Amino acid sequence: MSSNPSSDPLAAPRATGGRAPDVFKVGGWVPMRQFDEDEPVDFVVVGTGAGGGPLIAGLAEGGFSVVGMDAGPWFRPLEEFASDETEQNKLYWTDERVVDGANPMVMGGKNSGKAVGGSTVHFAMVSLRFRPEWFKSRTTLGYGADWPLDWREMWDYYGRAERALSISGPISYPWGPKRPRYPYRSHELNGAAELLGRGAEAMGYRWTPTPLATVSAPHGHSHPCVYRGFCRFGCSTNAKQSQLVTFIPRALKAGAEIRDLAMVGRIEVGADGRATGVHYMRDGKWRFQRARNVVVSGYAIETPRLLLASATDRHPDGLANSSGLVGKNLMTQSNQAVFGTMDNEVRWNKGPPSLSITEHWNYDDAKDFHGGYCWMAQGPMPIEWVTIQTGSRGLWGQRLRDEMEKYNHSVGLKMVGEMLPDERNRVTLHDDTDQYGLRVARVTYGWSDNDKALIQHALGQMQTSLEAVGARDVFRQENDTNHLGGTARMGFDRQTSVVDADCRSWDIPNLWVCDGSVFPTVGGVNPHLTITAIAMRTADRIRAMAADGTLNHPRRAA
Amino acid sequence: MPDTDRTAVATSGIALLGLASIGAAHVATWAGRRWRPPVVQARLPAPLGRAAAIRAARRLNRAAGVLAASVLAATAGAHYRGSFQHRAMFTPLVTASLSLAVSAHGTADRRPSAHRGRDGVYVLAALTGVVGTGFHLYNVASRQGGLSWQNLFYAAPLGAPAALSLSGALGFLAERVRDTAAGEQPMVAGLPLGRVVAGVTSAGLMGTVAEAGLLHFRGAFNSPAMYVPIALPPVAAALLGNAALGASGRRRRWVRLSLRLTTIMGFVGAAFHVRGVARQMGGWRNWRQNVLNGPPIPAPPSFTGLAMAGLAALGLLEDHPDD
Repeated sequence: MSSNPSSDPLAAPRATGGRAPDVFKVGGWVPMRQFDEDEPVDFVVVGTGAGGGPLIAGLAEGGFSVVGMDAGPWFRPLEEFASDETEQNKLYWTDERVVDGANPMVMGGKNSGKAVGGSTVHFAMVSLRFRPEWFKSRTTLGYGADWPLDWREMWDYYGRAERALSISGPISYPWGPKRPRYPYRSHELNGAAELLGRGAEAMGYRWTPTPLATVSAPHGHSHPCVYRGFCRFGCSTNAKQSQLVTFIPRALKAGAEIRDLAMVGRIEVGADGRATGVHYMRDGKWRFQRARNVVVSGYAIETPRLLLASATDRHPDGLANSSGLVGKNLMTQSNQAVFGTMDNEVRWNKGPPSLSITEHWNYDDAKDFHGGYCWMAQGPMPIEWVTIQTGSRGLWGQRLRDEMEKYNHSVGLKMVGEMLPDERNRVTLHDDTDQYGLRVARVTYGWSDNDKALIQHALGQMQTSLEAVGARDVFRQENDTNHLGGTARMGFDRQTSVVDADCRSWDIPNLWVCDGSVFPTVGGVNPHLTITAIAMRTADRIRAMAADGTLNHPRRAA
Repeated sequence: MPDTDRTAVATSGIALLGLASIGAAHVATWAGRRWRPPVVQARLPAPLGRAAAIRAARRLNRAAGVLAASVLAATAGAHYRGSFQHRAMFTPLVTASLSLAVSAHGTADRRPSAHRGRDGVYVLAALTGVVGTGFHLYNVASRQGGLSWQNLFYAAPLGAPAALSLSGALGFLAERVRDTAAGEQPMVAGLPLGRVVAGVTSAGLMGTVAEAGLLHFRGAFNSPAMYVPIALPPVAAALLGNAALGASGRRRRWVRLSLRLTTIMGFVGAAFHVRGVARQMGGWRNWRQNVLNGPPIPAPPSFTGLAMAGLAALGLLEDHPDD
């Protein structure tokens, strides 16, 4: 490391002095507009991930003055994402948290990110649409809660999100209503992905190459995927269409400011009951940015944490919490897996890990539990594979060594399953404090009987699929979960939800939540594309409301 | 512009161009002389002069050679990338090399009769292409999903071996042209040679367009230039096809122009592919990987080879009317 402070992204903020790192050029910079802290900006957006990124870009492109804040650093993908699993732990939110409940969550790489671009910097790029019925799962399928969004409108925004992120997907998608062609073609399948296909066909299920947010051909300054396999980490070729290389550069171009290493600790609310700005720590000092609107996009743990931590005398239970639902209905997704060994070499680490998918059980309702799930091909890197062997199988010593030698013959299927909302699963504040002196989040989680039934069903199905292709020594990884949702759900009224369909809080008209927290249900697919679509819609809605004069004074039934 | 729009614009553009070119050709035909569906009524073409026959044959040898060179280089790269997993993957390298060698020999040769060695090589090259197509078809079909878009994109390219067959076919026809050097009428299998070469070339161009179209679609037409090889050669192929069926013995400026442009496009395309390699991670610094994984640099000149054959055919049609 040189003595230049900008050479260590964690040491000091990089986006200062009217410039920000150019993620497409080694050592490059791009100009960035900067705003005065004392002049209220139109919007402060807390978080720059799948929710914050598109919103910041959309608002800036709509002519608003926008400051995006992220607690994490501004990485340079071409220089700072080494092919090393341990080195890349820097991308995760590993600040202290307290986890408890019947099934305490493992917090970290599977469900968080701490970087400009959020967890999209290291996500596995799986970009799926919800099944349309899930937007009305209470009404049409009899579980969970309805969304205040219409699936047809979402279908349109999914298309826009897919174009904005240059999703590489199959020519025709086997499930759900017709969708436009993906902007890029699906990637070449690796051995593990083909085995998923063989297994699915043996079971009579359809399967397809997975739509992924990594380009299969050059796009702008993004190189095409080189199938390096470090996909649940930072992508060093910029093939991964993370927020860091898509909406964030767009936002800068449109005049937004992004502040890296800026940890927001509190939202200030004025005497008139409106948010006035945010207190944030940057460069070792607490600062205050004035704003006409505050958007919280910190995902399902940090968003409720910030809302709860901003409690005042007038809002003793936290901001936007008159319903008492902030922090409640936390959901994760079941991420169990089945693994086995093939006689032939598979080399599952080549290419993106989730190259093929079957959504069969998302669209087939002939099952005795609620919710759906999909499964995808797998390709864990060696350290992750060791962790699975020691954690799920308890292997150690020579047996572990022998097992690891089969790495190139290993094959696996991993589910993404819908867990149902439950108010007992929640985020609250714990009395412990973190490095900023802020109370840490306490995350309480337990699986319901329905969740367990879904997981067992999926494990059985995946095992059948693996055995159908001749896998030996099949074993199950029973304990894994990943993506989050809930904790600030959107809904139809202030009693049963935190925000409305436009992600505006019912209680404070200039306070918004825009991330996975607003999900009333999580569905059986990875949430990233849905978050992006909602954020793009929210930006459009805010622009429309500003145009018709309802941005500051929402028209709402009392 | 969104890709779907681009595709729509390009597709309609191609259709319009194709229609316009065929239309223009017909207008020109009507303006020139009365239209007759000619092949059926074709008389024997005018005898070739010795010098003219040798010239036409050498032009075809050269075209076959350019095509063989393109096939040789592209196949070498692609089969090396495939680690020569099957021993048969060496075969096209041998036959394309031979085809290239005898084409060079033919191009230099000013003697007035077919060469048995060249004939043998050309037939062998043509057969290799046919067998190769079978292998590639097997490769596609045996993958998970069978004859799917996914496998058409990423398995062995179905259209590629046909280029070797075309090289062989053009070379074989070159020998037939050369055989007429003694003042006979240029005929093959009972048909006027010029028309046969034009027809084969036109079909070959369309096959190559299909191949380029498929692979450029796989590349999501990430550069607008990627539409050119599916826009221009079909015009040339349509005009040449029209000439193959139309009246002979007259100047066809538009056919010649479109073929010349296609000739140039083949080389320009290679330059674009050089740039495409640069757009891969690491660019030319990482050439050992990117030359194999990026767009194949030797592929576009196969358009050049075919267009050169088309020009030779056009010369035969113009100079030796058969109607």
